[in-house]
Amino acid sequence: MPTTTSSSSFSSAASSSGNRQADVFSRLASSDPEVKLKALREVKNQIIGNRTKKLSFLKLGAVPAIASALSDSECNSILVQSAAALGSFACGFEAGVQAVLDAGVFPRLLRLLTSSDEKVVDAGARSLRMIFQSNQAPKYDFLQEKNMEFLFSLLNSENENVSGLGASIIAHACGTTVEQQVLCEAGVLEKLVILLDGSLSQREACLESLATVLKNNPEAVSRFVGLEAGRYLSSVTELTKDRYPRTRLLSCLCLVVIYNTSPSYFLNMGTKSSLVTTLLELLNDPGQSGDEAALGLSSLIAEKEDLQKLAYEANAIKNIVDILKTGSELHPKRLQGLFLSLAELCSKLEDCRCSFLSLEMLDLLVNALRHNNADVRTAACICFRNAARSVKNLSAGRFTNDHVMLPLVQLLHDPSSSVQVAVLGALSNIVLDFSSPKSTFIEYGGIKQLIELSKSMDPNARCSALRALRNLMFLADNKRKELFYSEVKAQGFVSLISDPEPTVQEQGLALLRNLVDGCINSIEFVFDEEGLILDTVGRQLRKSPQAQMAIQGMYVLTNVASGTELHKEAVMQQLFPQPQAESNNFMLKFLQSHESQLRSATVWTIINLISPSSPGALDRHVKLREEGIIPQLKNMVNDSCLDVKVHKRS
Amino acid sequence: DQATSKKVITRDEWEKKLNAVKLRKEDMNTLVMNFLVTEGFVEAADKFQRESGTKPEIDLATITDRMAVKKAVQNGNVEDAIEKVNDLNPEILDTNPELFFHLQQQRLIELIRQGKTEEALEFAQEELAPRGEENQAFLQELEKTVALLVFEDASNCPVKDLLDISHRLKTASEVNAAILTSQSHEKDPKLPSLLKMLIWAQNQLDEKAVYPHINDLSTGQLQNPSE
Repeated sequence: MPTTTSSSSFSSAASSSGNRQADVFSRLASSDPEVKLKALREVKNQIIGNRTKKLSFLKLGAVPAIASALSDSECNSILVQSAAALGSFACGFEAGVQAVLDAGVFPRLLRLLTSSDEKVVDAGARSLRMIFQSNQAPKYDFLQEKNMEFLFSLLNSENENVSGLGASIIAHACGTTVEQQVLCEAGVLEKLVILLDGSLSQREACLESLATVLKNNPEAVSRFVGLEAGRYLSSVTELTKDRYPRTRLLSCLCLVVIYNTSPSYFLNMGTKSSLVTTLLELLNDPGQSGDEAALGLSSLIAEKEDLQKLAYEANAIKNIVDILKTGSELHPKRLQGLFLSLAELCSKLEDCRCSFLSLEMLDLLVNALRHNNADVRTAACICFRNAARSVKNLSAGRFTNDHVMLPLVQLLHDPSSSVQVAVLGALSNIVLDFSSPKSTFIEYGGIKQLIELSKSMDPNARCSALRALRNLMFLADNKRKELFYSEVKAQGFVSLISDPEPTVQEQGLALLRNLVDGCINSIEFVFDEEGLILDTVGRQLRKSPQAQMAIQGMYVLTNVASGTELHKEAVMQQLFPQPQAESNNFMLKFLQSHESQLRSATVWTIINLISPSSPGALDRHVKLREEGIIPQLKNMVNDSCLDVKVHKRS
Repeated sequence: DQATSKKVITRDEWEKKLNAVKLRKEDMNTLVMNFLVTEGFVEAADKFQRESGTKPEIDLATITDRMAVKKAVQNGNVEDAIEKVNDLNPEILDTNPELFFHLQQQRLIELIRQGKTEEALEFAQEELAPRGEENQAFLQELEKTVALLVFEDASNCPVKDLLDISHRLKTASEVNAAILTSQSHEKDPKLPSLLKMLIWAQNQLDEKAVYPHINDLSTGQLQNPSE
């Protein structure tokens, strides 16, 4: 018995298998139905469960050949075998789905559903279900009468595979609120809930489709909960304790959808708590259920401090970190879900952040920044952003060392814009670390990259980049400001604060506020190119801006007015431009604003203008009184905002 | 030497207590049917249905199909078993990578057992190696199985357990369970769970009382405490 193998036997193995595949492929085209049937069975049995074989048969062109066999035949056995083979190609294999759809055999598969032979119906229904589980499935127009009729005929069928197909179509093709409405009004919820009491696959199909129909639709949710006085909501809740993990997962995801849409149905703390713990347990499932559980958990606890606390107390952080540390290749969806869950946990709770950072997670997080999947990189950045909200850890220098900063800065160049926005968010928080004397970020050319991104096509990226720059320039020394000025001149800056998006303008003005804060020389920037920037700010303030923008704009004026006599006069020019045709006295309006910060900022400006230490103060005081500003101030002695009161007094 | 704090229950008292518990005949019939169906005793299940009127929880015809698969694996005809499973429900192997891997593994083991080394090598390379590439979790078992090929005398090597008939039974049981699940039927009969519950309950009660035990499950005979 030979114990060694030679390389030649391996290559002959490869070529003989190739020959066998080519052989069975040629028999598919045989005109003899017996031979054809046998070949179909062979191909089917080779590809089921075998992704590698699916790929190699695909390359040979097997799908069009099988599609022809299906279309050209009326023999039930051939129909069953070819439909089953096509279904297998489409099962969890995107290239296969594509090939089946390209072969134009979809309508033929639909017609199989009306066959008198139960096995043919089964085979057709299964294949169609595989196709509908893919993103490439043809769009199903629910708004068309005949399509709805067809859909309901599927749901009404006694055949488990057929009713499951109906539910699957809904689960994967229903996308808009209008479609949800149309389906509910046609009575789809009543049909779906019957499936809850059916077989395992019917239950699971039902749960998936319920989640799709109810998502973000309070009316649909209320209709569902109203069915038989809440009986079905209880059923779904019961199913979160089912023996099958996938059923537990799907029922949890359904409840998450209901909770996110209409939280009032979940007043009971116990239900919330068990939903969190069930999802946490499901995280340990090695298969697809675990992947989806992670995303489900992040969706559940998003923005909800009470649930985040529940999860934290249920040991979520340690559990998730343990999973991440197992070292085995985790599916990108799972990684994304786990990092997003960690990010949500750290979003508001300092305990979570400290707990998380104490678990030696930074290396793992840094590695995730280099993952080839953009969603994973984004999730890791968001995680960094939220963890960096911990002032204690930030000032301990956890985030500002090379090990962390370099990969983060590199992501500013990431091809994906969602990654860019996410890393900007992280950097915005990290650059707030005042305890570090020199900034690694700046050393890595961060400022230049932020300026680049402030010109991005994506408004979110522009906004985030400016926010990061704003934070970077807070209490910055002149040297740091110079780095900015060397790249951006007055004209360029004006386009930043004139951005079409109000949020971007706001961040631009906030950045300006920080730039002109500090020593008197800082103020000169607004006077460059004949006062271009100051003029622009003045113009915007006169245009009735949104409160947040106005606040930043007024603080800019406050800072400028804290300078020399010339500076103060320039501000007066902006407040009261000649000719005074416009009686639009925005100062008065601001002093009467609901926003206390705006009133405060305006008062500060006034204080700086009339501070007795400067020569022209008296003249300015007179002018302000003429415009009704001083009388208005007198009315504000008892302003509800203490800040304003104190300033006024002085 | 018996703890005097434990309550003592005589045989008479015990039997009286037992007789007070009411059971329904239908429940017992259902248990029996569940056992026959899950274990795959088709003819017995059919006869029992006719004699007792108890309805089987699933269509008996599907049991026949399932048993054919199980038997094929138990006899080492894995390729045949795979074809039968795919005829029954093509989704089972397409959505159960672990099961599919184990069936392929069993095929390799059978080839080695038959001494068909060349074919085994080819099979290992063409069919088993890709499984390891598709899914890292299988690599360790894959290596173990391939190790069989390395040794001159496979039946005496460190991984010889794989050649054991019990491994066939393990694989057969796995495929049986997968088919049952796909038919929404529970893969384990209820009877063993009840018996386990009985033993556990006796152990619990032992801490508090002295009473007649059932020591032999197969006879269900009560034995006096002193026996």
